Amino acid sequence: MSVQAASLPVGAQAKKPRLRLRPTRLVLNIVLAAIAIFWLVPSIGIAIISLRPNSAFEQSGWWTVLTAPAQLTFSNYQGLFSAGFKPGQVLDSLTTSIAITVPVTILVTVISSLTAYSLVFGRWKGRTLVFLLIVAMLVLPLQMALIPVASLYKVVDTSTGLHLFGSLIGAIIFHVAFGLPFGIFLMRNFYSGIPHDLLEAGRIDGAGEWTLFRKVVMPIGIPALASLAIFQFIWVWNDLLVALIFLGNSSHITLTMFLYGQTRALANNYYIISSGAMISIIVPLIVFFAFQRYFVRGVLAGAVK
Amino acid sequence: MAGVVLQDLTKRYDGGALAVDKLNLDIHDGEFVCLVGPSGCGKTTALRMIAGLEEITSGEVRIGDRVVNNLPPRDRDIAMVFQSYALYPHMSVRDNMAFGLQLRKTPKADIDKAVVEAARILDLERFLDRKPGQLSGGQRQRVALGRAIVREPAVFLMDEPLSNLDAKLRVQTRAEIARMHTRLEATMIYVTHDQVEAMTMGDRIAVINEGVLQQAGTPKDLYELPQNRFVAGFIGSPSMNFIELRLSKDGEVLRLTGEGAELRPDDTQAALLRDLATDTVIVGFRPEHLELAALSGPVLSVSVVVDVVEFLGNDELIHGSSGGRDVVAIINADNTLRVGESVTLSAPPRRLHLFNPATGLRITKDGPAGEGGVARLMSTG
Repeated sequence: MSVQAASLPVGAQAKKPRLRLRPTRLVLNIVLAAIAIFWLVPSIGIAIISLRPNSAFEQSGWWTVLTAPAQLTFSNYQGLFSAGFKPGQVLDSLTTSIAITVPVTILVTVISSLTAYSLVFGRWKGRTLVFLLIVAMLVLPLQMALIPVASLYKVVDTSTGLHLFGSLIGAIIFHVAFGLPFGIFLMRNFYSGIPHDLLEAGRIDGAGEWTLFRKVVMPIGIPALASLAIFQFIWVWNDLLVALIFLGNSSHITLTMFLYGQTRALANNYYIISSGAMISIIVPLIVFFAFQRYFVRGVLAGAVK
Repeated sequence: MAGVVLQDLTKRYDGGALAVDKLNLDIHDGEFVCLVGPSGCGKTTALRMIAGLEEITSGEVRIGDRVVNNLPPRDRDIAMVFQSYALYPHMSVRDNMAFGLQLRKTPKADIDKAVVEAARILDLERFLDRKPGQLSGGQRQRVALGRAIVREPAVFLMDEPLSNLDAKLRVQTRAEIARMHTRLEATMIYVTHDQVEAMTMGDRIAVINEGVLQQAGTPKDLYELPQNRFVAGFIGSPSMNFIELRLSKDGEVLRLTGEGAELRPDDTQAALLRDLATDTVIVGFRPEHLELAALSGPVLSVSVVVDVVEFLGNDELIHGSSGGRDVVAIINADNTLRVGESVTLSAPPRRLHLFNPATGLRITKDGPAGEGGVARLMSTG
């Protein structure tokens, strides 16, 4: 009897949320949907433009596709890819962008992670000061360093016979140097949340510093490493300024340089710009979705009370 | 298995704070020793120095016949259970337990055997493939114990391993650790701030305060013969009551009065007090040794006004005040005491502890406790 009596209100409670209208939630959903559409419209627009023939661009707006979908075609992409890996063409730019972005991303995540480990778990004096200096570097605008670094490269090149200015290595070094302060800042803050007990347990278990880093700290830091990798990849992928300064006079043309080159010819090349932009969006998207599964919340759950 | 010897073990931090001051302790092979004391007394620092997690300022730690001062933790043949469990969150229970053995390049078959055996002992077999995050607090602490067991170390170090568990689990896990000790016959050093834990588990207890070892001995020793006022007040629950009495000599008859109490000493106490240089003495008596009955002959009588009565079932906890000093008594619940009532409580002389008010040390047959008393308690055990 008592069990029945007790179960009734529970059932009634369970049904309540379905019956009750929640206006705040509704308003929230509408606002979110509006923001999502607002943000998506340019991307959808450029995707559609890239799928319409060049001649259609000046005749009608991209939204006419909604009533006449037959105008969609892959011809822009075919044109873009038909040049193959010819220097200055889209596939060549794509590989150049990848050749810069991938090493930079790997180097920044690995070096940041190691530095952060030392800053958090190392036992040397002056760690806080070094960290503060690194944070201070965050406020240094990239533009400020372009010319001094370019002249430095030239001095190094003439004195050593190296070829930093105008080479991929030169661009990679610059990007890594400017990516590290944020990377170290992010990883250091994440590692600070890892209880020292875990490392002490590891030390007693027999682990040295390298094993602790590889087997204990890095696996825990994967969500932060994944976000750092995504940030870093997108920043370098989308970079135009550094590429123009350091590679402007060379045969290396990144995807952003390629697209920029097309804008100078203005309206006629919109079919190339739109399809090229789509290609440049797709790569970071692939990276994002590849790393996205590592964003596991509460990865430290259960380590310590 | 091995014994552990601490000799003049000292820790001074860079800022100058002294955490552990010349700690001397000889822990025998297979013994269960509890380091107990209030928060910040230096007990955990001492344990961490044994583990190699904290640098030793001076003194020596010997495990077995080796001085381990300069050895890293992994070479000391120890295992440690942390208050926070410190389990590797990304590894399964199985991997957590196996990690130490894997690093020591133990053959895989032996690792599996050791892990399964430890899991069987700790009733963790069902959870071997789960991550720590999927376990309850008690299960996590058992995994931490398992991680220590599989290593078969010479010495187990435990840093308040039960503090994060609820009361019921704490009692269960306490029994589990005691069983583990009997089964493994291992040397265990157990740090706790909970004197009940120390009393129930330790073969021997070392009471530490402000970095200094106060007394080391069996739980019975500490309860019955506390060497100073700190140990007397720290061991036992509820804590010992203390009353300061003034000594007056009426010819050959000694009278001790003050704070609403009067002590008629027995012959042994009279002999102790007669030669005392001071004219006051601190008398300590445990709440459980107070009686409602008025006793004749040598006795301590305390007049108390009852403030609070707490019903415990068989007994009642009586909080009262005597001459401005709080007094707690455990009296059989079969009484009619009410709040506001005045009552005289008595304790027999053999249940009393006399302390020198200046030094806080126990007044013993060997004369008023002084420097010699400290030296004696250091070598206890």
